[in-house]
Amino acid sequence: MKKVLAILLASMLILTFVAACDSGGSDEVTAANIKIGVVHIGPLADQGYTYNHHIGALKMISNLGLSEEQYVPKFAVGTEAADVTAAINELIQEGCQIIFATSFSMQFQMIEAAMENPDVVFCHATGANAHGSGLDNYHNYFAKIHEARYLGGIAAGLATETNKLGYVAAHPFAEVISGYTAFFLGALSVNPDVTMDVIYINSWGDPPLEQQVATRLIELGADVIAQHSDSATPAIAAEEGGVFHVGYNNDMRSTAPNASLLSPRIDWSIYMTFAVKSVLEGTQIPVDWGEGLQSGAAFITDLNDAIVAPGTREAIETARTEIISGSRQIFSGHLVDNAGNNAVITNFDGDTIFEFTGPDSVFHESTETSAPAFNAIISGVNVIS
Amino acid sequence: MVGGFDFTNFFFMAVIAATPLLFATLGEILTEKSGSLNLGVEGMMFMGAAAGIAASYFYETAAGSGASGIVSALLAVLIGFLAGAFGGFIYSLLTVTLRANQNVTGLALTIFGIGAGNLIGELLGIRAGGFTTVSDSTKSVFSGISIPFLSDIPVIGRLFFSYNFMVYLAVATAVLLIVLLNKTRVGLNLRGVGENPATADAVGINVTKYKYIAASVGGGICGLGGVYISMATVGGNAGTWIDNCIAGRGWIAVALVIFAAWRPSRAIIGALLFGGLSALWLYFDPWLQTFLPNASIPQQIYNVLPFIATILVLIFTSIRQSKELSQPKACGTNYFREER
Repeated sequence: MKKVLAILLASMLILTFVAACDSGGSDEVTAANIKIGVVHIGPLADQGYTYNHHIGALKMISNLGLSEEQYVPKFAVGTEAADVTAAINELIQEGCQIIFATSFSMQFQMIEAAMENPDVVFCHATGANAHGSGLDNYHNYFAKIHEARYLGGIAAGLATETNKLGYVAAHPFAEVISGYTAFFLGALSVNPDVTMDVIYINSWGDPPLEQQVATRLIELGADVIAQHSDSATPAIAAEEGGVFHVGYNNDMRSTAPNASLLSPRIDWSIYMTFAVKSVLEGTQIPVDWGEGLQSGAAFITDLNDAIVAPGTREAIETARTEIISGSRQIFSGHLVDNAGNNAVITNFDGDTIFEFTGPDSVFHESTETSAPAFNAIISGVNVIS
Repeated sequence: MVGGFDFTNFFFMAVIAATPLLFATLGEILTEKSGSLNLGVEGMMFMGAAAGIAASYFYETAAGSGASGIVSALLAVLIGFLAGAFGGFIYSLLTVTLRANQNVTGLALTIFGIGAGNLIGELLGIRAGGFTTVSDSTKSVFSGISIPFLSDIPVIGRLFFSYNFMVYLAVATAVLLIVLLNKTRVGLNLRGVGENPATADAVGINVTKYKYIAASVGGGICGLGGVYISMATVGGNAGTWIDNCIAGRGWIAVALVIFAAWRPSRAIIGALLFGGLSALWLYFDPWLQTFLPNASIPQQIYNVLPFIATILVLIFTSIRQSKELSQPKACGTNYFREER
């Protein structure tokens, strides 16, 4: 009896192995058989970052005329290395030929998987390690969200009465600093008296904490709350605190009808459509991809006309035109830090890569790599914690 | 405020953060008083949180536009309590009747509860077409109360009369437990079971019954802590299922039980202290910066403070060897009548 069972099990193993080899064969990737995996950091319920990335994926599916079953999402994967690796491996086993990962914190697991699976295409949002990796199947992508955040800053700078903005920030590093500095510079462009308080939550998203921090910023005197965090709870805090709010990732007017001015947002479908199309057509995807207001990869949601300050729409449209034409550069001029020294941008090793030496200084963000690099804390920005 | 420590707002934030911890701590104290060490607090909180929001969601879907916010909120509280109590009941079944190891059963309950809670939450989300949220009228029941005159008194109104109803429910539960444990016959019997079940059995107390009821009601109170997180949370306006929303608060509660020396009165102070420590970073740094510009203490330092406090309490209570302030004697071991 035991022998029979052993033989049975052994033959089953061999059969599955053969079957696995068979499906792993180098069949042509076609629109009919392509499977697209996405490793999402959060759950759909965040109504923010993950929700927005999911919307992008669905739009890509319909743009390319694929069926929704070909999109294989893994939600709420988080940032633990083991969980990320497990999610990527599950997607590979399910036969995905292209895999997207949505969070910066997944970069090491992604590059590792890209090395081990040369037949699968890996695209990593917001990451910075594809540049110089030498891998053909590993790419970084992001949108020039700082351009949209700058427009959000204009609305905030015109709306504030206390001349103090509050910013719920994720982690103290370039992607976040670049975003809130662009937001602040946007506000400064229409309101020279404005200052901004920043509190880091040291997480990409923690709904109760985001709400707590936003409430605290209001207590400290901010009357416009902006955010670089994944959920909509800062909007709730702003609504309850009777102040304005500039969102991220999602139109938050339904959450906070009396607070939400507008939300800078990324349209991920533009890149996802491009990348999947490239895989189908067998063309190479660039190592780094970053587009902004011009192509609509970064955009702002409809203004909340009932509450924005008069003149907001016109000021935003002027800035948008100038940014697209290149006549207005966001990170430009003689930017200084709080001590009055020239603002400097450093790389991950701490070496200076750019210094704002005078009125003609211009830093072109997200041109060399898709991940933002601006990480100077400029005068007027007060990092509280 | 400017130049000084923002105490009023800090206290408010501390109470808000303390309430789920207080519920969970009270539930675990009641459980441990009966001699059962249930490490499944985290799991029971998850079950309560998911069941509460599910109850509210299904009621609202069924009742349509005629749904009442108060009924929906009460259902959330009731079903959340029952879900936690169910967790406590499973625990009793395994440890009291089937005599499984208490530590292992508690850990299993935690793992089960986290999985079940997140599964229910996500399923609800899929069912609701993306994410679950309850109606505004239900949310408003869970937002801060406003009592005429009392809530309007400066400072005092904010400090004592502006929370959501579950905060007051938590304090009421603590008072009820103090009376129950110290002033009633039932409380005396319960403590007897927890200290020495053989003696309790000899004087005719039904040990099994006491253990079942204490662990189940205790689990239910833990479940209320979960309901608080999914339905009320920080600003008193949640009502949306968020993956992993309990995020380790159950384990902090287990530490708080030790901190509170198994006394509900101390649990109130302990929970407030732990809640305060979790909000401290937002208030201490700005205060520090009023005289030390740009000074900031890393958030991670603040995050470990509750645990350092627990370790210190453990050290001091073990030095003092107080019989009054220590764990019930029989806690952690199962009672076999035949082994007397």
